[in-house]
Amino acid sequence: MPDSGVFEYLAAGLRGAVSRTNALPNCAFCVLVFGLSATLSYPRGSPRSCSHIATSGAVPAVPRDYFSQYITIGIFVLVGLGLVGVTLQLARLVRPNVPTREKYTTYESGIDPIGRGWTQTNVRYYIFALLFVIFDVEAVFLFPWAIVFERLGTQAFIEMLIFIAILAFALLYAIRKKMLEWL
Amino acid sequence: MSAETWQQVVFWIFALLITGAGVLVVTTRNVIHAALWLVGALMGAAAMYVLLFAEFVAWVQVLVYVGAIVVLMLFGLMLTRAPIGSAEFDNNQRPLAALCAAAVFVVTSVILIGAFEGQEINFARTAGTSTESIGTAIFSSYVWPFEVVSILLLAALVGAVVIARRD
Amino acid sequence: MDLAQAIAQPSVDWHALSPDIVLAAAACMVLIADLFLPEESKWLAMPLSAAGILGTLAAVVSLAGEHRTTLGGAVEIDTFALVFKGLFCVIGLIVLAMSFGYFRSGRYYQGEYYFLMLCSLLGGVVISSARELVTLFIALELISIPAIIMTALRKADVKSNEAALKFFLFSVLSTAVMLYGMSLVYGITGSTKLDEIRSSIASSADEPLVVLSVIFVVIGFAFKISAVPFHFWAPDTYEGAPSPVAAFLSTASKIGGFVGLLVLMFRAFPEVADTWRPAFAVLATLTMTVGNLIALRQQHIIRLLAYSGIAQSGYVLVTLALIDPSRPEANAQALESAIVYLVIYGIMDLGAFAAAVAFARKTGTYFLSDYAGLWRRSPVLATLMAGFLLSLAGTPPMAGAWAKLFVFAAAINSEVYWLAAVMGVNAVIAAWYYLAVVKRMFLDSPEVDEPIEVPYLLRATMGVAAFALLAVFIYPAFITSLADRSLL
Repeated sequence: MPDSGVFEYLAAGLRGAVSRTNALPNCAFCVLVFGLSATLSYPRGSPRSCSHIATSGAVPAVPRDYFSQYITIGIFVLVGLGLVGVTLQLARLVRPNVPTREKYTTYESGIDPIGRGWTQTNVRYYIFALLFVIFDVEAVFLFPWAIVFERLGTQAFIEMLIFIAILAFALLYAIRKKMLEWL
Repeated sequence: MSAETWQQVVFWIFALLITGAGVLVVTTRNVIHAALWLVGALMGAAAMYVLLFAEFVAWVQVLVYVGAIVVLMLFGLMLTRAPIGSAEFDNNQRPLAALCAAAVFVVTSVILIGAFEGQEINFARTAGTSTESIGTAIFSSYVWPFEVVSILLLAALVGAVVIARRD
Repeated sequence: MDLAQAIAQPSVDWHALSPDIVLAAAACMVLIADLFLPEESKWLAMPLSAAGILGTLAAVVSLAGEHRTTLGGAVEIDTFALVFKGLFCVIGLIVLAMSFGYFRSGRYYQGEYYFLMLCSLLGGVVISSARELVTLFIALELISIPAIIMTALRKADVKSNEAALKFFLFSVLSTAVMLYGMSLVYGITGSTKLDEIRSSIASSADEPLVVLSVIFVVIGFAFKISAVPFHFWAPDTYEGAPSPVAAFLSTASKIGGFVGLLVLMFRAFPEVADTWRPAFAVLATLTMTVGNLIALRQQHIIRLLAYSGIAQSGYVLVTLALIDPSRPEANAQALESAIVYLVIYGIMDLGAFAAAVAFARKTGTYFLSDYAGLWRRSPVLATLMAGFLLSLAGTPPMAGAWAKLFVFAAAINSEVYWLAAVMGVNAVIAAWYYLAVVKRMFLDSPEVDEPIEVPYLLRATMGVAAFALLAVFIYPAFITSLADRSLL
């Protein structure tokens, strides 16, 4: 319903939320509420200009809405945590309480748990985790690069290209050594 | 309350979080719990960077340390002999270690307080910690160590594969 | 630094960076080649690595006599940098020769080993010309991390695992301490460039914070160069590691640490030398004495070389205790003697390790008692081994004599007589255990008479190294003239 307007969406979502019959409007409603609140709470100050960097020291570098952004994040975190508690308590109020032995076993996708909680995992997982760390570090470097890319131009481009190329060898190595295949 | 006061309040909240989590990391007998408490300490450090207007560093802390390093640690712990909860690998040097840690803490904090007491950070100068100036620094003055890091990461991965492979 | 200016200038001097770039490219090529080589020709990684190191050496030679700075002063090519870049290349070539037979015979991940060794070597090459804290630190890590993995390559051997774990833990601890110190230095001075640190730290020599940060940095380096009391990891690590790797650790890794230390102490912190000079005097005394005394009791050649290597670090630490910017001549002499010592130490220590490796390849033993009567089993090996041990002991006719003498003379010239006396006593103790091995090889009778064949490559390498030591003894100007010109 892209052309029926925001309020149609909202109404449909509300209907879905109330009737609890249709999953799709329900989800759409949640997304909408989240998106709306995020947009509303986004600081309305002028977009962060980058010009102050070049004249280092002359202009206060910290935007006035710096902390309000993080207050927003803090509120979201608190609301998110509160939501979990509230819904769990609500569920507790309405649900029937009939404990059986099966209900107290650990839930493992319907399979009965066997053995201790701690088992030794396959060493191959470690390689995945390490690959993740390495490319995570690479990704982190991409953020400042993306910001200065326009200004530094070719120089920054080549520097990043070398960096990524060398790390691509790591990926090539892992592929050739069949570390990415699950045997 | 003014913004500065709030800054102080938030600082003390996170300072307590870091200290408490840090103490628990080293005192808990369960290594998995230690790794999870480490998340608290690292997140607290990230909050400190935010308070110091070093946003980029803060999010790197979250992405790399909390997101990747702790995950790696947990994987590493899961690879070790199960069950992990027991303290059978513990030794009786805890008091000595505590003494050393306390000594280092006292010495460094006394010296640091003596050196920086009464000084205030001039936040007008914190342009140095914005993402853009970090990018400029990395890609112009620090480009050499930046490229060397890629070789270091490559060597680390190759080494990890060599060690972790079953042959 | 002015931003607009930094962007406008084409700041990269490619020629100055060429040794590092060639070596990095060679390392990547070895890795890729290994991925696509069939199992039976994996050994080709070794000649490929050798070619890469020779290329690096050529790049170093092409820069001879130049003085260039690039990347805003982060990298500086001068004679000091070139001497050590060249030394790292030579060490790399010798270790390659030692590794060839060792890694070809076992299932030891040849390609990865050569790649890791080149990476570690690259760390040494980078640190030689690094004049900035971040580069210095990354280069130091690039030396250690591949070295840790190389130590762990004998995966089935518990000792190798233990060695790697000890090395890893101490390395990480030292890194953390050093990094904390460096961050404090940056906090005090607001710069990572060594020259800027030097000028802005000069006024705050008495501040406890400066002392604390410098001491942290020094402790971090003390682990890396295995100075007493931070030496515990070294003998166990050397013993458990594959022996060519032990040779690499004892030379390239240690010299890398020393290069970083020399650069920092002569370039960044000389103005506050009064505060840390006594620390180095104590470290040097402890390192020499403890290393030598424990070496007296060793029965295992690798452990003997490990402890003797610790003692040898002590002699270099003496030069750091002589730094005094108010007396430029004594200062220059201290640096010069340190360079001469490190270059000669690198060659003679590697030679002794190579001889031990050659002996163990045929006999499978590292115990000193099995060296009895080596003269009758292999005159060549016995002579070469004796040559390297004599050089380590500092007796003529080998270059080691000059190395010790220069440090001794530097101590006398700086009027630190007590340190010179400690050095003299230690030289005597050291001579005892080196000569005991020589005596055992030449005068005792062997238990087995089976002759020992030394692989051709190893024999040639050791021969060249021994000849070089002999040549330097006869004509020391060859190396002193280089050291003369390398001022920091």
